[in-house]
Amino acid sequence: MMWSWIPSNGSLIWNLTWENAKLGVLPALIGLVISLPLGVIAARWRWFYPPLLTVINILYAIPSLALFIALIPAFGLTDTTVIIALTVFSLCVILPNVVAGLRGVPAAVTQAATAMGYGPFRRLVTVELPLAVPVILAGLRVGVVASISLASVGQLIGVSSLGYLFIDGLQRSFPTEIYVGLVLVIALALACDLILVAVRRALTPWAVRPRRERARPRPQQLEEAAI
Amino acid sequence: MITFQAVTKRYPDGTVAVDGLNLEVPEGKTMVLVGPSGCGKTTSLRMINRLVEPTEGAIFLDGTDIRDRNPAQLRRGIGYVIQQTGLFPHRTVEDNIGTVPVLNGWPRKKARDRARELLTLVGLDQELARRYPHQLSGGQQQRVGVARALAADPPVLLMDEPFSAVDPVVRASLQDQLLSLQAELRKTVVLVTHDIEEAIKVGDVVALFRPHGKLAQVAPPEELLAAPADDYVASFVGFDRGIRRLGFIAAEGLALGTGPVLPADATVAQAMASAEPWILVTQTGSGSPRGWVDTADLAVIPDGTPLGQLDTKGFGHAFTVGADSLRAALDAAVLSPAGQAIGVDGDGRVLGVATFDQLRAAIQAGEGWQARQKARP
Amino acid sequence: MSFFSWAWDWVTTDANWHGSGSIPQQLVAHLGYSALPLLIAALIGVPVGVLIGHTGRGAVTVVNVANAWRAIPTLGLLILLAVFLGFSPITWLLPLVVLAIPPILVNAYEGIAGVDPSIKDAAKGMGMTPWQQVTRVEVPNALPLILVGLRTAAIFVVATATIAAYIGLGGLGRFIIDGLASDQYGPVAGGALLVVILAVLVLALFAGLSRLVIPAGLRKQAKTE
Repeated sequence: MMWSWIPSNGSLIWNLTWENAKLGVLPALIGLVISLPLGVIAARWRWFYPPLLTVINILYAIPSLALFIALIPAFGLTDTTVIIALTVFSLCVILPNVVAGLRGVPAAVTQAATAMGYGPFRRLVTVELPLAVPVILAGLRVGVVASISLASVGQLIGVSSLGYLFIDGLQRSFPTEIYVGLVLVIALALACDLILVAVRRALTPWAVRPRRERARPRPQQLEEAAI
Repeated sequence: MITFQAVTKRYPDGTVAVDGLNLEVPEGKTMVLVGPSGCGKTTSLRMINRLVEPTEGAIFLDGTDIRDRNPAQLRRGIGYVIQQTGLFPHRTVEDNIGTVPVLNGWPRKKARDRARELLTLVGLDQELARRYPHQLSGGQQQRVGVARALAADPPVLLMDEPFSAVDPVVRASLQDQLLSLQAELRKTVVLVTHDIEEAIKVGDVVALFRPHGKLAQVAPPEELLAAPADDYVASFVGFDRGIRRLGFIAAEGLALGTGPVLPADATVAQAMASAEPWILVTQTGSGSPRGWVDTADLAVIPDGTPLGQLDTKGFGHAFTVGADSLRAALDAAVLSPAGQAIGVDGDGRVLGVATFDQLRAAIQAGEGWQARQKARP
Repeated sequence: MSFFSWAWDWVTTDANWHGSGSIPQQLVAHLGYSALPLLIAALIGVPVGVLIGHTGRGAVTVVNVANAWRAIPTLGLLILLAVFLGFSPITWLLPLVVLAIPPILVNAYEGIAGVDPSIKDAAKGMGMTPWQQVTRVEVPNALPLILVGLRTAAIFVVATATIAAYIGLGGLGRFIIDGLASDQYGPVAGGALLVVILAVLVLALFAGLSRLVIPAGLRKQAKTE
């Protein structure tokens, strides 16, 4: 382990980390923005969800490298290719959580809101979505963590990320670089995860602190799909 | 026979669920453990099949300390019915029922045959055998739960709030089913409920718990109603216990008068001649009651009119002499516009009527009521 | 040209179906490189997950594992092992097994832990030994989730075996990595397409498996909820 390598390549490491962060966080956020309206529709019109879920299951099965490759003719060997692919994967993880979160709001609460005179849109924004935040954010956490990790695969098609350190380290038989890359990817993912936990706490001051975190969509939802 | 000997259950955080319990469950009878939430009745029940272990004391089953027995083997000889049924969703109804026999080594075919027998015993249709639990109604699921508990023919049956999760109509029907099962099978049943009415209806002996795991009174239901041990028991049992206790006294001793009873083809003149304030008109032929007529209203009606042509006032219900209790008779009198209860025989034919005075006499005569009143301090 | 036309051209070129390193050869190799780690991971993950689910001990660890495993970059792990162990079966087998265990274990745990407590109470109360409770009641009711875990792991393994071509492993990833190295988009697209088809077939396999294996009472129950 050659510690001196780190400070002497500080700017490279920083740039790659920043790139990786972008490639991880951006797709998750875009995935969230797309998942919200889709999830609201799927939660409301139940017949819509099973076919949607089937599509999601199929998309999620596509290996990341293969999706990157499939997008190359259209978007080139650029950041965009990786971002679009990772957005699709994030969507696959976040959307079921949006649906689960909304469906998990107790019926008594939504009925009370309606009875008090809330219109559907206002009820959605001020009652249902806030109550669905914990579950939605759990999905977002998985989306961000997975994207940060998968972004490194993009290096295989030449898109810059911390994956560069793996490739370069292999080519030069230089373990230090590889260690640094591994630690940074995991640390970056962990840091984003913790930030999101803090965001969730900030957004839900009423919540009882759960002892267990659910980082995955409720598996029952996965089984509703036709496949 | 099940015996609790100074049994205490204390949890690590200090809560005492059961406190020095001494109780004998008589063999072949239904004992109901009843009390408010948190009184230790369910904990006590679950100590019998060792789902909960006592902190102090011992429990004996037919003379053997249950701790000397292997838990799984012990439980195979004890039927267990719970509120949420716990039916296995991944098995059909008949395979659910046959679970313990199969565990005991029976061939599947024999277990299924036994399951079908039990379906009939609990009042269910054979065609439900191949269905899955989620396809059945709540009441049906509960019956399957009971059938499953009875499959290996255990001498003891434990039931934890078995009927609380269904609606009152279904609940009454399930309670009746339990009573008829017990009449036939004579198992040692321990049933937990928070509903004092259920305890009174199905129990041969009722053990009423106080909060925090102590017993308040152990007695047959009629005694609980007639002589509650203290104010706590009296208030738990309910303020109308006197009237409810009448449900245990047969209406046979009730004197019936036939003076006010006239058939439909009798005339208004006969009614007025009877000098009764109210006349009960019966159907000519069957003798079943049509309704009451106030004789004060008869003055303006021609003497020759048959009573059958007049409008009668409804009578609520009648009581069946020989089958119904004094409580039913009293209720019939209360509902009647004439203040008199109509007594009928098994075919619905009017045998006579009883006034409030006659009811009072029967009530006070019932079970040496006066003697018991004198004995109270 | 689009991705599909590149891929289609290459896949339909007869030459690619013969000789060493041909499509059928790499396909079979890929299946082997996926199936073996999956099997080992299942043999470890399912019993451990079931045990933790039944006893409740170690549940906290499971939750942490669930959150952490996605953070590990597979490429980095593969490369690290390649640098130290050179290219041997352990180099690809170990990381694939280790990374396939978490989804299997976590889902097995969730499946068992999620069985209705009153069902577990009834099973215990009627005199089943712990082994009987687990095998006759808890596992059958946990099967849907256990299968989800296996499916997730299977897809993951197929994807990671593709990437492992970078450190020299055979299989469908070979076409992709070699094609990228020599600037030939044909095999790259073709390999990618084949991998996608394989992944979708795995999905379909599990769908069929679940229909076969999951007790009828549970499947219908899920639909009526």
